[in-house]
Amino acid sequence: MTQLLEEVETGRKRAPVIEPGHSFSTVTAKISDVVLKRPLSIGWLAGVMFCFGFVNLLLLAVGYLFIKGTGIWGITIPIGWGFAIVNFVWWIGIGHAGTLISAILMLLRQTWRNSINRFAEAMTLFAVACAGLFPLIHTGRPWVAYWMFPYPNTMGVWPQFRSPLIWDVFAVSTYATTSLLFWFVGLIPDLATLRDRATNIWVKRAYGALAMGWRGSARHWSRYETAYLLLAGLATPLVLSVHTVVSFDFAVGIVPGWHTTIFPPYFVAGAIYSGFAMVLMLAIPIRSIYGLKDFITERHLENSAKVMLATGLIVGYGYAMEAFMGWYGGNRYDAFLLWNRLHGPYATWYYSLLICNIFIPQVLWIRKFRTQPVLLFLVSTVVLVGMWLERFIIVVVSLHRDFLNSSWGMYYPTKWDWFTYTGTLGLFLFCMFFFMRILPSISIFEMRTLLPESKVKAE
Amino acid sequence: MTTARSHEMNFLAPSVVRTIGTRSLVIGLIFAVLAIVGAFVRPGDFFHAYLLGFMDWLGVTLGALAFLMVRHVTGGTWGMVIQRIQIAAMRCLPLMMVLFIPILFGLPHLYIWARPLDTVADKHLREHLQEITQTYLNPHGFFIRAVIYFAIWAVLVFFLSKWSAEHDHPPMRDTSARTKQLSAPGLVIFALSIGFATIDWMMSITPGWISTMYPLIILIGELMSAMAFCIVIESILSRYEPMSTMLKPSFAHDHGKWTLAFVMVWAYFSFSQLLIMWAGNLPEEITYYYRRFNGGWGYVGLFLVVFQFAVPFCLLLSRPLKRDIRRLAFLAAWIMVMRWVDLYFMIEPNYSETFRLTWLDIVVAVAMGGLWLAFFCRNLASRPLLAAYDIHAQKVLEPVHGGH
Repeated sequence: MTQLLEEVETGRKRAPVIEPGHSFSTVTAKISDVVLKRPLSIGWLAGVMFCFGFVNLLLLAVGYLFIKGTGIWGITIPIGWGFAIVNFVWWIGIGHAGTLISAILMLLRQTWRNSINRFAEAMTLFAVACAGLFPLIHTGRPWVAYWMFPYPNTMGVWPQFRSPLIWDVFAVSTYATTSLLFWFVGLIPDLATLRDRATNIWVKRAYGALAMGWRGSARHWSRYETAYLLLAGLATPLVLSVHTVVSFDFAVGIVPGWHTTIFPPYFVAGAIYSGFAMVLMLAIPIRSIYGLKDFITERHLENSAKVMLATGLIVGYGYAMEAFMGWYGGNRYDAFLLWNRLHGPYATWYYSLLICNIFIPQVLWIRKFRTQPVLLFLVSTVVLVGMWLERFIIVVVSLHRDFLNSSWGMYYPTKWDWFTYTGTLGLFLFCMFFFMRILPSISIFEMRTLLPESKVKAE
Repeated sequence: MTTARSHEMNFLAPSVVRTIGTRSLVIGLIFAVLAIVGAFVRPGDFFHAYLLGFMDWLGVTLGALAFLMVRHVTGGTWGMVIQRIQIAAMRCLPLMMVLFIPILFGLPHLYIWARPLDTVADKHLREHLQEITQTYLNPHGFFIRAVIYFAIWAVLVFFLSKWSAEHDHPPMRDTSARTKQLSAPGLVIFALSIGFATIDWMMSITPGWISTMYPLIILIGELMSAMAFCIVIESILSRYEPMSTMLKPSFAHDHGKWTLAFVMVWAYFSFSQLLIMWAGNLPEEITYYYRRFNGGWGYVGLFLVVFQFAVPFCLLLSRPLKRDIRRLAFLAAWIMVMRWVDLYFMIEPNYSETFRLTWLDIVVAVAMGGLWLAFFCRNLASRPLLAAYDIHAQKVLEPVHGGH
């Protein structure tokens, strides 16, 4: 799959992956100065404080939850999953873009990924952290969450290995570990650069300790390359497996709206869809605020938009097939599910979902919407809202009316549901703000490999 | 330099293509006579075998079309060297249209919904059929929809083939923007059309049984068939000019990687469908697998797991194998055989509870394959093997640098 996406050979001139006029030293300076030289700005502080407010809201919501229990949420029977699972799936989906960009695009030799992989990986870690929180607190007794791991115990209690919920425990924890390792290993050469460039002795020591003695010798590089490639190989199946397992949480059940065989690839596509939307929502402001437009060029925006369009169409295919089969199969519960989505009490949500996820993103067929940052930012926002609505429709609308009318119900999220959700949004952005200031948000050494000077001819 | 080089070279297909074409035609005709005899002697078996053979060879045709569009959208030199093979394969679509006609005459043999409803013993099924035959599953609808599917594919084949032919004459041109503009929406329409065609032609054999994954399994199978077929043909051609110059180990490597990816995705889709249905264990769904696990069919399923997934997967992990076109071609030929087994496993158990393989299953597939190959060889020989005046084709002719 050499040059799979790389050589998109159109007649028109395409934006480069790095603007001309840069040398090794300017690339290094431009990226590391954001961390080492740029003074604290009011904007950054205001942003951090704003997000910190939401972090506190999250702490409040979770603290109160620990005191009172999950009854403070809107979950009821039959809708026992509610916001917690909606948000879990949404966040974990967002995390997928990071691994896709860093591992799969690397194996496909997509060099354009070099300027967005670092912060996409950071985004993955923070998103997975936010995601992991939800099932944990949804268990009701998070202090005994370790029961989910199989360990020999005097109670003789083991997890139910046939339940996808347990597979989730393994899938998500493996994913978090691998992503963290991948991110950290990728950072080592850049941490050493920061160590070498820092003037303050304490800053130097801090980065020095994290750089783990990196000197940039040929032997270091050779081992580094092997380790990175191996980690990429390990991370690749995870892109598919994690959201596949998440989809099994639903699909192995027999509730109409959950039990459909297309769910695994459809969930994976949806995850990448929302993940790229988040990447764009972060990349667009970052490149303009920190003056990194030379490195995150129009080409990156356009390629990411294309990935979004393609995965969005796969999601649309999933909707179409599900709706058609609901009618064609002749199962009255499936048919009712379709009717209920279109005409039931949550119909507005469903129509909003279709508008956000299917109709509006079609503007990405037009080149202007792929390259114009403001327009692309807006489309990405719409997609993220749409993907959240999709999970809401799957979780809530499928559960609220299933086989027996006597067990129908309605779901109304409480303020605590909203506090927890917006709190995780705050936590995510809070972490991103710090990441931007203390670590190089673009991989310095990988950017250097894109420069003409680094293209050494063999002959 | 390379431009001059492309002008000097002769890219016409070697004479072996015509030889293969003639021999395939002879084999195809002999088996076709046998098949026609079978059609009169055992019409039921004949039509089951016919659908199987048709879906198998349609897969190569449409897989080539889809793969060509993927290449147009994503770019990449790996596709240039097999582009004309893909085009020759997709230009077999007119043959597949003609071969579709007998299916229209065999509808009652193939589909329960095309028979008189009072012959259906199962009450629930009869009720379902009474509804669905009114609106969707009836011979008229089946015919009209088939016309629509073929029309969509024909339009795509026509333009992509025509535009590629323009590169056989000077001046040197770059039409990638135009092909891309057709291929991107083309892929979307293709995915939908093949999805609905699969529902009509295969899934409707058991009305009431549904799987949203099923069309995707067929789609990925078609891509796999087409890739495997291209590898086999490029391997044969690589003994002669111009393919011996064009085909570099790195291209074979990429084709091998694609095959590996398809093998994995096929397994992923198939296993997901199985797991979800097994876990749900609903009577209207699990019957599909219940049949396929019992009555001897289970061995065919196991055979597929081992020889369509496990063995090709392990072998394709090897880098030397992927770079050696001769060895890769053996594996690709095997995968093509397994594609037939997979379709056999999807189609035949619907008609028989116990394992059943008739001579017609093989005869019809060979007859169709012979005719298809003859048509393919005629297509392949009618144009040069490389679009010499396509600006992107020049990379194929660049000498190999270093060991890579």
